[in-house]
Amino acid sequence: MNTSKPPTMDLQNLNPSSLKSRFATRFLRALTKINAQKPISPSSPTEIFQRYRRIKVAADKSMAYSVRSRRTWSRATLWRLRTRSPRSRLATLARRSSVKTRTTTVVDKTSHGKENKEERGAGLGVEEEELRELVPGGEAMDLCNLLDETAHYIKCLTTQVQVMRTIANLYSLD
Amino acid sequence: MLHRLESLESCNYNGMDVAVLERQAARLKWQQQNYVVQNNNLVELCASSMPQFQGLIGSNIGSGQMVQLKRPEVFLGSGDFQEFVNFPVAGAEFGDSEKLDLVPPEAAADYCISRTSSCQMTALNTSVMKEEREDMVLEKMESTTGSGRESFNKRKPEAVADHKGKNKRIKGEGESEVKTKCSTEISRNSSKENSKASEVQKLDYIHVRARRGQATDSHSLAERARREKISMKMKCLQDLVPGCNKITGKAGMLDEIINYVQSLQRQVEFLSMKIAALNSSVQFNVENLPMKEFPAYVANFPAAAKLPAMAGLPYFQLNPLQKESVNCMLNESILPAQTATEGIASASVSISEQSLSSSSMTQLQPFSTWNMDPQGSSSNLTVIFHSSSIVRVEYIRIWHLIRYTPDTDTS
Repeated sequence: MNTSKPPTMDLQNLNPSSLKSRFATRFLRALTKINAQKPISPSSPTEIFQRYRRIKVAADKSMAYSVRSRRTWSRATLWRLRTRSPRSRLATLARRSSVKTRTTTVVDKTSHGKENKEERGAGLGVEEEELRELVPGGEAMDLCNLLDETAHYIKCLTTQVQVMRTIANLYSLD
Repeated sequence: MLHRLESLESCNYNGMDVAVLERQAARLKWQQQNYVVQNNNLVELCASSMPQFQGLIGSNIGSGQMVQLKRPEVFLGSGDFQEFVNFPVAGAEFGDSEKLDLVPPEAAADYCISRTSSCQMTALNTSVMKEEREDMVLEKMESTTGSGRESFNKRKPEAVADHKGKNKRIKGEGESEVKTKCSTEISRNSSKENSKASEVQKLDYIHVRARRGQATDSHSLAERARREKISMKMKCLQDLVPGCNKITGKAGMLDEIINYVQSLQRQVEFLSMKIAALNSSVQFNVENLPMKEFPAYVANFPAAAKLPAMAGLPYFQLNPLQKESVNCMLNESILPAQTATEGIASASVSISEQSLSSSSMTQLQPFSTWNMDPQGSSSNLTVIFHSSSIVRVEYIRIWHLIRYTPDTDTS
């Protein structure tokens, strides 16, 4: 498949249980499955679009599976992927809006007295809300845990991007 | 009142007083000092200069003065700090002193030293704290400052300490010169400090509004510990997100973090789109791959390396249908023009006609270009397409390449 080797390749130093290798393994397996399912012939834009969706879902799912249930965001992602029906984007939007309203009530309930409210009123709340929307499962966490989850999520996202970019590059070389 | 206080300063103090002041000033600069050591020093001071200040205090006129003078005497330390929790703690700034444990007493002591430096307060005496009369404090503070709630908040810890000290005159009067200095400064700069400090310390004083009479210690302690944790975590995030070194403040940091997460998510989308498009045109022979080694290979592949083979190599080919689909995907995904990521660039670049064998080769500078420009200034990708066929993709700025250079081989 690839005739040219990359400049650095350290098979010995690879940790087989690292996040990167776990994700790479799962994702490649999922990719092969996707390729096996559908014909690889050039097809209509909608088919390619469907394939894109499937690949994206596979990427998210494999990353979440690599993290198992150790993290709130991975659990939330897995739950989201399981319960979401493939075609109902409206349902997703509806759920998202309901989650947003639920978020505010949850956050209000968990605020301990005036301090939190004033902190949020001081402008911290807008960004917090945005961050909660971005990080899966971030709706029902306090700021402290949310920052932890964000850090781990960023780390996993960068890994994901690296691996996927490599795969795409390898594809393009053929 | 100002005159009186100044006169107190100029009173015939012991020669040791200057040394005392100097020592206290030096102590203020310590951030990591042992609390006990501080306490011991203060106790020494108090003991040494006690008798002489007692007289001074006795001669003061009016309870207002008394309150102000008493302010620092509360901060003699030999008791434990546990009750003195109302000192303001700045979350963000406090987190700068990273080595501080989350022990509230030390934190509070150090913090109130740094924050209320004009008062040169140091340690507290818990036993003094126990006999506090809040009402008088409230009156005094409001009357003396007269600038309302914020100044009240600013002075509340001092007032609180004051008030307790008032009932225990026997305890370190050694701090009175500190107090006088403190009070003069305060009265002198009252309005300025109030406006400045109240703004700066607005966040910090929030928890101080809880009434002192209530058992708010655990709450305030927990609140302070929480703030410190949050600031520590913000620092960790600062290391994770590239380009955040110059940004201070929670809001700016959070904005950066949000942007970074969004860009990463978009990159994932684009890469999956690219893989989908590539998949359809390239035969991916599973059997040929050694599945055990391939993940290792993939995982070890340095993300930002330029592939030498790419230099002469092409382009991947899409037929016009695929090109349309890619355009559809482009529209589908979230693509604000100003936050173009690598993915956008690659997707826009990687469109060409499939049948190029007969015609002149279109030169795509695809992956090498967008891969290799991490430190370059904002670059525009131009794509040269085959003349007969294809829609030219317009330029897209990749300034995010500068900002969000991915790490290589983060595991």
